[in-house]
Amino acid sequence: MNRMTSGLMALITGALLVGAGSGGLRAATGPAGLDRPAPDLRLPAKDGTQVSLSDYRGKVVLVDFWASWCAPCRQSFPALSDLADDFRARGLSVIGVNLDEQRKDADAFLVGQPHSFEVVFDPSGKGAKAFDLKGMPSSFLIGRDGTIRFVHVGYSDKVLEAYRREIAQLLSEPAGGRNP
Amino acid sequence: MRVQVEASRTGKVLVGALAAAAATLIAASNWADNILTFGLHGFQDSRTVTVLSPVVDLDKDFTDRSGLKARFGVDAVTAASDSCARCHPDGANNQRTYGDFSYRRKYGDYRLELGGEISRENFYAADTVTASLSRDLNNGNTTIAGGYSFSSNRPQLHPTQTVEQQYAQDVYVTLTQTLSKNTIVQMTYDFSRISGYQSNPFLRTSVNDILVVGNAPDLRNRQAIALRLRQALPADTYLEADYRRYWDTWSVSSNTMSVALSHYFRPSFMLGGSYRWYSQTGAFFYQPSYTGDPQYYTADYRLAPFSSGLYGVRISYAPADGLLFFPKHTALDLRYERYIASTNFEAAIFSGGLRVPF
Amino acid sequence: MKRPARIAIALLMAATGLLTGACATVQPWERGKLSNPCMVFDANGQLVAYDNHWQPSREGSAGGFGAQGGGCGCK
Repeated sequence: MNRMTSGLMALITGALLVGAGSGGLRAATGPAGLDRPAPDLRLPAKDGTQVSLSDYRGKVVLVDFWASWCAPCRQSFPALSDLADDFRARGLSVIGVNLDEQRKDADAFLVGQPHSFEVVFDPSGKGAKAFDLKGMPSSFLIGRDGTIRFVHVGYSDKVLEAYRREIAQLLSEPAGGRNP
Repeated sequence: MRVQVEASRTGKVLVGALAAAAATLIAASNWADNILTFGLHGFQDSRTVTVLSPVVDLDKDFTDRSGLKARFGVDAVTAASDSCARCHPDGANNQRTYGDFSYRRKYGDYRLELGGEISRENFYAADTVTASLSRDLNNGNTTIAGGYSFSSNRPQLHPTQTVEQQYAQDVYVTLTQTLSKNTIVQMTYDFSRISGYQSNPFLRTSVNDILVVGNAPDLRNRQAIALRLRQALPADTYLEADYRRYWDTWSVSSNTMSVALSHYFRPSFMLGGSYRWYSQTGAFFYQPSYTGDPQYYTADYRLAPFSSGLYGVRISYAPADGLLFFPKHTALDLRYERYIASTNFEAAIFSGGLRVPF
Repeated sequence: MKRPARIAIALLMAATGLLTGACATVQPWERGKLSNPCMVFDANGQLVAYDNHWQPSREGSAGGFGAQGGGCGCK
């Protein structure tokens, strides 16, 4: 291999090493060990009314961040509606937070997707930033006491099974906090 | 070595088995993302070669971190026997059958992909294995990837029916970097080494006024670097720009520059145009005809110096409700291109594809 | 080394410098445009494979865009 090509290989290796230092994507699934209070979200719903996360204290909340351009988000929508219907009576609320920068993209998506949960819009991404999303879609399960208890990045059958387990666990906790 | 290559039947059985294996792996899952892509390509050039190529791809995710790809296709070639000036008549009509298979798996930020390809036609058999590894960095903004492939290619001469051997190895490294919400670039370095028989058994050149099959060197080291850009412009328009510099040990070197512009008139309808400029030098041993006692000689027009332009238009149609009876998000892609080379060679290329998620 | 090759190297080094230096981190929720097929390299794998098949069968160059297959007896 001549000088030029070895020079190029060295450059690319260098780029890799530079990048390696800054860390990679960490998928957070399952008990996140965060137990931090959920950031307060105040975002408009479809009709313009402000929805505030703090209003849901005492309920278990599944906050799901999605966008029309994200294929796994599309796949998770029906599952989220099912979860909302199945666990609503026991105190679960599902909030879908849309992150499309253009409302028309979100609207086009929602037209073909019947859903039985609240959808709010966050085009500037401030909610996503506050929750520090690591990937799309990202969902956060918040306990009755307002702390983030479980985080999921991405969607699959396994994630759906985890949701059911985790929601059942959180619903069984009293309003003041988890079981001792 | 005098061995009759039973290319057609064995090859077809192998490829069919590959397709069947892929089909049986389809498992029911209410999450799994499956995509079937049906394609049809048509190629016709001024050497009177016409090729019709139907192909079907399957892309299946088993979980969010593993999946497979399978491809099965046929190149049906017809050509007048005088399509290349000194061509052997048996090579004119041909059918190539091929099958590809690859399995991919994610391990944290790493992604590994292993695959293979089998290709069979009259007078040529090729078997390939490939491996590639990629790593995501910077929260998915940087990707570094590399791959290796090894092929055993066996051209068959005629009328002797001798089977020759050729080995090809390829290694590449790619760096992909997101520069902004609207810009992404990629840089690739590619090296391949081809050893063994590399003449074209169908083409004959004139040496001292006698028509003979070419005699090319036994070794060819090829290198290429490519730089690619994708830029989202205002008003739902996208720019694609690619540059490649290529050079090899036969003294062929080339520059390829292409640009494409696409515009979405509606989210479901895109129209685009593209232009590709290509220019290459000739191989050190290329001459239109030869005299004396040349060590290497070739009739392969691909080794001549020339330049060319490729002009294309394309359409993509993906209505949200789905196309006809196909599921939602089915997309139809059509493309027509015209290739015009400085050697008075021209070609028309048509590509149609139907992408069906299910 | 020939002049065009040296220019190419210079361009590439500049590009690499730009890449590793200009790492603006785009957040996962800002990747809407980047997910459009026109922004994804080799989004249409079937079409890319076809181009990488017919072009080297009529030109003297190959590769530069990822792994190549086993070739064919294409005239």
